Amino acid sequence: MEKKEFGGKLIEIDEDGFIQDPDAWDQAVAADLAKTEGVDSMTDDHWKVVNYLREYYLEYNMAPMIRKLCKQTGFKLKEIYDLFPSGPAKGACKVAGLPKPTGCV
Amino acid sequence: MDLITVTRKSGLLFEFKVREHTVASDMSVSDGGTGAAPSPAELIAGSLGACVAMAVQSYCDSNGYTDGDVSVSLTFEFADDPKRVGVIAVDVELPDGVPEERQQEIRDVIAGAPIPETFNHKPNVDVEFA
Repeated sequence: MEKKEFGGKLIEIDEDGFIQDPDAWDQAVAADLAKTEGVDSMTDDHWKVVNYLREYYLEYNMAPMIRKLCKQTGFKLKEIYDLFPSGPAKGACKVAGLPKPTGCV
Repeated sequence: MDLITVTRKSGLLFEFKVREHTVASDMSVSDGGTGAAPSPAELIAGSLGACVAMAVQSYCDSNGYTDGDVSVSLTFEFADDPKRVGVIAVDVELPDGVPEERQQEIRDVIAGAPIPETFNHKPNVDVEFA
């Protein structure tokens, strides 16, 4: 684990850049996390995805299924990947301050 | 069915050969590999996508929907307990001119294609040590 500055705060992140303390997240943190995902400037579409992920996570303590994310935001799979090239799990969830999704190992 | 042979190249990078074709597979860096090739899970998802695309393309060709090609986008998520691919989300883009009322028929075609059916009927994986 290491600490890096996001949104003007020193925040602990794991080796893949996911923040470890969900309470440390705010929009300024999200904007800086987005830069690590190749998103220089968050658009309304980016925020639509991030805000939905965040609201869902705060209510259910888990990330939504990808299809639910698509349906609720109105974006197709390709459009989600256009917004977050690393994808909904590794990219958008990271920017939204959610925990890292389960991987293959 | 032709024999498929799998050999190690380095680390977790393996190649499998079937007939004159060679396909590599590796794990991502975060999963202990080098990311030099699709992971086994990505190959499974890609295989599903290819099978779906072929099935839908055949349907469209047979029914005269030839204004454009079928394309498929997909992604997947892992699940735990046991570790497995838990969800595969598939978006299918149809050629122009396919009536909406044909979509259920196309869904049936997809569901009946060999790889989706393989997922539905869980093949017997029979392992021996050679």
